[in-house]
Amino acid sequence: MQASRARLFKEYKEVQREKSVDPDIQLLCDDSNIFKWTALIKGPSETPYEGGVFQLAFAIPEQYPLLPPQVRFLTKIFHPNVHFKTGEICLDILKNAWSPAWTLQSVCRAIIALMAHPEPDSPLNCDSGNLLRSGDLRGYQSMAKMYTRLAAMPKKG
Amino acid sequence: MADAGSPPNRCCPICLHSLNQNSYLDTCFHEFCYNCITRWANVAASQCHESQKSIQCPLCKTENFSIIHGYGDISFQRHYIGMDHKKSFTLSEAHRFRLQCYSREPGALCKEIDVMKYWKSKGFLRKTRWLQSWVQREIQALIHEEDVDIIVHHILGVIESFLRRMEQEHQCGTPEQKRDEFKTLAFGAATPFLNEITDRFVDELEIFLAAGLTIEAYDELYLQSWIGNQPSEMVERSNQTTGHWVDLHLFDDDSDII
Repeated sequence: MQASRARLFKEYKEVQREKSVDPDIQLLCDDSNIFKWTALIKGPSETPYEGGVFQLAFAIPEQYPLLPPQVRFLTKIFHPNVHFKTGEICLDILKNAWSPAWTLQSVCRAIIALMAHPEPDSPLNCDSGNLLRSGDLRGYQSMAKMYTRLAAMPKKG
Repeated sequence: MADAGSPPNRCCPICLHSLNQNSYLDTCFHEFCYNCITRWANVAASQCHESQKSIQCPLCKTENFSIIHGYGDISFQRHYIGMDHKKSFTLSEAHRFRLQCYSREPGALCKEIDVMKYWKSKGFLRKTRWLQSWVQREIQALIHEEDVDIIVHHILGVIESFLRRMEQEHQCGTPEQKRDEFKTLAFGAATPFLNEITDRFVDELEIFLAAGLTIEAYDELYLQSWIGNQPSEMVERSNQTTGHWVDLHLFDDDSDII
């Protein structure tokens, strides 16, 4: 408990210090609970998520960093490895490939990389996975682009 | 002494704070706090069904089999993965003392103990009760393993069969020949386990046999021999026990006459 608090505090300070280093990631700690964080990440360019801003929710276990944080999308996203309803993310480093050397910042980077490189063979969103697996790249991209516009972009007017 | 050499800005990749009790993984040499990396090793092991003998480095995923920590100029501690339930072997003060002896120039005891006299006066006919404990401690310190019974048994077996042969046929051979034969045999017995330190071990073994002292008295004698050229904490320790050592040294002279 003490160790996780100390480490999260260190990460908090690091985030404050290097705010401008990675403009695609904005990490925010809950005012009253250092175990609750949210992140705003920019959809990577040249993907159907470009132009969108996606919100992630972090729930951090007391044994962190020995156990990975639980991360899910709060913003709706059409992606083979993200559950369409719950926002749950299928990413090895958040499960059995976790290493305590990862940080919240680097987890965000990994999620951005996952957005750009979906793994259709381990889908949480079967519709999205099937489109990619059947080779219908256009179908996947237009669905993903539509949901990015609907959910991840500021409403105009 | 382990922490002294590290610059203050080096951070542990697990806690992100300055390194505390620096330790290294044995294959990739990535550095962590001792507590951080052992806690991670325990968590990683608890997530597997089979007992783990290795740990993946959190930074590079290399498989490592032990954590090196508590290192100083001449010794280090080693924590093997998957051995957490057993008490891992740590060197005692006496072990570290002996390693210190090995790290110094040989011949510290030459003035005190006349090795050739041992061979000329057939000192080997005297039984040394402390040899087993002494060899065990030497091997433990030199190879940093607790369970050295097989190695000790092997080395003692070779020495004892040699000494027994000496008892039976004490007429033939000059003391020099006996000495050479002894050294060759002991070297052959120990070299598979001790490698390049074997020569020195055999020398130390010979001196211990020639001294005919208990382990405690032998250690005191060693400490005494350092006085003058090594005014360190060792000297301090030996000063307190000088009287004790003198007694035993007299005893040693007596026994040579018999």
